[in-house]
Amino acid sequence: MSKAGEDAKFFQRGKIEEFRKELQEAETKDKKFIKRKTALKKIVANITMGNDMSPLFPDVVQCLVTPSLEIKKMVYLFLVSYGRSRPNQVEYVIPAFLEASDCHDRNPLIRALAIRTMSYIPLQAVLEALVDPLRASLRDKDPYVRKTAAICVAKLFFHDAVLVERESFIDMLRDLLADANSTVVSNAVAALMEISERSDKISLKLNFTVANKLVMAMGECSEWGQIYILDSLLSFVPQTCQEAEQLADRIVIRLQHANSAVVLTSIKVLLFLMNYMDNKKVIEFLCRKMGPPLVTLLSSGPEVQYVALRNILLIIQRRPTVLRNDVKVFFCKYNDPIYVKLAKLEIMYRLAREENAKEVLAELQEYATEVDIDFVRKAVRSIGRLAIKVEPASDMAIQVLLELIDNKVSYVLQEAVIVIKDIFRRYPGKYEGILPKLCQNIDVLDEPEAKAAMIWVIGQYAFRIDNSEELLDDLLYSFLEESAEVQLSLLTASVKLFVYKSNSTRAKDLVHKVLKWATEEVDNPDLRDRGFMYWRLLAISPATAGEIVLAEKPPISTDTDRMERGALDQLLLHTGTLASIYHKNPETFIRNARGKALVDSPALNENSRRVLISLPDAYMPGPAPNIPPPPTPSTKPRSTRDTSPDSAGDVSNPASPAVGPPVPHDPYANLESVFGGAYDADVPRPMTDGPGRRGTVVDDEDLLF
Amino acid sequence: MTIDGLIILDHTGRPIIQSNFASSPAYPLLHIDAVNDALAKSPAGAVDPVLYVSGPSGPSACCHVACNGLRFLCPVSGEVDPLFVFAFIQTFVDILRDYFGDLSAASIRENFDIVYQLLEEVIDDGYPLTTELNALRDIVLPPTFLKKVISVAGITGLSKATGHPFSSPIPWRKAGLRYNNNEIKFDVIEDLDAIVNKNGSVVTSTVWGKVQARSHLSGVPDLLMTFTNPQVLTDCSFHPCVRLQRWTRDKSLSFVPPDGAFVLMEYRYTPPNAALTASSQANIPLPIALKSSVTLTEGGGTLDLTLTSRMGIAMQSATVELFLGSGAQSANFMVSGGGSWNFDPKTLILRWTISPVPSSSSHTLRGSFTSSETVPRIGSALKATYEIQPHSYSGLKVDQLKVSGEQYKTYKGVRLRAGGSIEFRW
Repeated sequence: MSKAGEDAKFFQRGKIEEFRKELQEAETKDKKFIKRKTALKKIVANITMGNDMSPLFPDVVQCLVTPSLEIKKMVYLFLVSYGRSRPNQVEYVIPAFLEASDCHDRNPLIRALAIRTMSYIPLQAVLEALVDPLRASLRDKDPYVRKTAAICVAKLFFHDAVLVERESFIDMLRDLLADANSTVVSNAVAALMEISERSDKISLKLNFTVANKLVMAMGECSEWGQIYILDSLLSFVPQTCQEAEQLADRIVIRLQHANSAVVLTSIKVLLFLMNYMDNKKVIEFLCRKMGPPLVTLLSSGPEVQYVALRNILLIIQRRPTVLRNDVKVFFCKYNDPIYVKLAKLEIMYRLAREENAKEVLAELQEYATEVDIDFVRKAVRSIGRLAIKVEPASDMAIQVLLELIDNKVSYVLQEAVIVIKDIFRRYPGKYEGILPKLCQNIDVLDEPEAKAAMIWVIGQYAFRIDNSEELLDDLLYSFLEESAEVQLSLLTASVKLFVYKSNSTRAKDLVHKVLKWATEEVDNPDLRDRGFMYWRLLAISPATAGEIVLAEKPPISTDTDRMERGALDQLLLHTGTLASIYHKNPETFIRNARGKALVDSPALNENSRRVLISLPDAYMPGPAPNIPPPPTPSTKPRSTRDTSPDSAGDVSNPASPAVGPPVPHDPYANLESVFGGAYDADVPRPMTDGPGRRGTVVDDEDLLF
Repeated sequence: MTIDGLIILDHTGRPIIQSNFASSPAYPLLHIDAVNDALAKSPAGAVDPVLYVSGPSGPSACCHVACNGLRFLCPVSGEVDPLFVFAFIQTFVDILRDYFGDLSAASIRENFDIVYQLLEEVIDDGYPLTTELNALRDIVLPPTFLKKVISVAGITGLSKATGHPFSSPIPWRKAGLRYNNNEIKFDVIEDLDAIVNKNGSVVTSTVWGKVQARSHLSGVPDLLMTFTNPQVLTDCSFHPCVRLQRWTRDKSLSFVPPDGAFVLMEYRYTPPNAALTASSQANIPLPIALKSSVTLTEGGGTLDLTLTSRMGIAMQSATVELFLGSGAQSANFMVSGGGSWNFDPKTLILRWTISPVPSSSSHTLRGSFTSSETVPRIGSALKATYEIQPHSYSGLKVDQLKVSGEQYKTYKGVRLRAGGSIEFRW
């Protein structure tokens, strides 16, 4: 064992001259190359600290002739670091040393290292010099060299695609797919995948025979090789259901691999192949097989758990039978990191059904007493969403919410008010009995969203709340200082109050006061316009105004809270990848990334075909991710304000920028604005047959919400 | 599927190792800053492990993992599977551990040249390359061995390190191994993970098990391991050396082991009564019980905890932890029945340790703490961890281990160890 600090002392800021002298001295009387090695170590240490060692170029290069692998490696590192900035010298060195001697060395490690080093230096002369040795390496007798060469082709393609095509390296890569060594096969697959991702002309398409052979070769591959091969299988389009089933049958066994990435990539391929199957029994069997390995991922570290959870969330939306009975696995531990907790919460809500609603609610109530405020808020919100989603559980949910309100913790209370408003909407006439309890807590509310929700409740149920005039009057006290969201709701609530209690002078005074403020004192055009509209309505015909303002509202449900089927199918092709973490198609946020889409074939499942999304022929890059999307109401997904669009436009207009909904520290919240949300968080929406509901209108046997 | 590079930061957030990046030098710096910024903003250190990084050359993501006071960063700019990245980081950490014994900023600084050599081998242009330790040791000499070679035989590093790399027909096993004493030992380690509600009922519990092995066998032995009760194993995952077909056929493990330490299999233990319930979960009897009474008052609170062992044998140790809230100032407790307590003013965690815990014994911790908060918001769960040896929740039993293909006598051994981490809500 080396003594502590023995190497660490190399990390002193070295002087170029000193090193040069050391190297020169090392040329004589350095039988064991120890002097040279020590000097080079110091130089490399300095490179890693970011000190410029490039003036030593000629001296260091001299060491290339030293027959020591360790020294060669350090010189290669030096070449890679400074090659680009010293084109003239490199052009002299490379052909002389690497191409002439190292590429023909007896030692396969040195042969491989030589081509690798050259492929790292993107200078035309170097790349040209690489062509011949690379061709030889692709046919080298040693698999280590062949597998290194395969990756080098992809690198070369990145720097000079024309050169690669001219030298027909692609064909040679294709030949390597039949190599006897499976690591070489998997590296060739990886290289071809990378090239087809970057090229417009070349795209990897596998037929059944090749796909099958690759799957057979997988058994002997390293975990990384297995991942490359599995990933490449998405380039295979099954032409018959049998093909898909046979392949799936061979892949299922990979679910038992110890490497979590192998497991998740296998699941991605299985989900993909399931689109091309029609035998329900097989599909069910595969779904059953997928659950346990997903659960096993949760025994890993929090990072892996997080990725797994985000993916599980997608998978259970498309294949709800997976993990159907495993909601308990997703219960949060107090010591879980917050990002794991939030991801678990989302899944718990998804998996909640009548049968397990009680357990889930009890858990959510538990979380509502924890320390972390964001988590508590999400938990309370989930209780509300659960009440809306699972009708038989709504009584229990209301009970839980009332108990939480009794705890008098301000942010819990505010969140509870917000969700109760939605519950009122969902089950009209069922829970109005709790109105007095809500009204007792008005004073605590200080967040715009909660306040607006409470005001909506007062306005909507003005006829049932005895002192509604008084309550509203109190709230109006600070009208001019309120945020636009609260102002809008106050305006509408006052109008409702007046419509209900047109005989009350106090109500009349109130509405007058508000309309005057809205139209004369406020700069917000939205508020002003609405004020004028109400005013005229009331002036022309109070009866009509009543009909409009108190029109029957469409019931809300959480039906629309899941992703559209076609989009889901598309995202699932990216299972495990960044896209699945952020729930966006990659072309919208990654440079050079391409969307994937299911490809039609005779075997494609009817349900998948119906929602098939095809990619545009000419690939158009997604919008620059730093530019926020135009603020159209439909792309403002996280706002619960969208959830109460009364027919008369009530408090739902999200036009004002001042009222961001409070969703702080949601791990994906900041992405929402960056990417222009395509994935809607599940806020309850009015039930409409909008275009976004294609997938649910038709019979969908595999979507069980 | 490529990783842009690997960066290792020390505990202050300064880079100590940085692999070669194809892009501009600003790119890795951008990621280092992004991670450091995010960590600075989050006091608990719970930063989204896949951090979104936006830069002048476009968006990218940074996957990062903390390990032994170090932080491993892998920037990715393509459509990559983050699990692939985390799996790679984990593999690299395992390799460093194997090479340097312990993993720390000091051991990495000391051996930076070896770390760089390793990086060269394990990752090529973002593709993980050679990560099998057996193969790696052939190409990059571990520090101890390297020193020995240089001092004893002069510079034969070249011939020694190369020989015939990858000459072994089995990727995970070196060719030509020779031991005087041939032995293979197995550790069956099971960990219980559970949540217990206020009323003492178990909300959820899972037992994760793994079989760790340490093999020192000559030549190419072919092993066959059978269990008397393989039905207790569910959701198994295996080291690549295990022949999966054989397992599917008769639930026996047939394999040619790697040399040295490795994890043979991982599994989940499902108790037999699980089949009766709809859920795949059923509760396993917990080896300890913890009764708590917590009273929070203005500026503090009192605790009264009783831990009872339900085991027929002694436990090596048990620890109970509780977060006393961000305003916690001091604590004063008394233990009875053996054990000790301490309060860490930095993490604000009260820790009660009992070691050993005699069979069926009872222990208490009573006392109070003070806090600057008017209503102290303390952790809503007590976390208890313990270790029992020898014990196994599943009762998994190795029936036989047959060695074929080699003539020598093999020493074999199996040890059982059980641990647990239970959250008791109060």
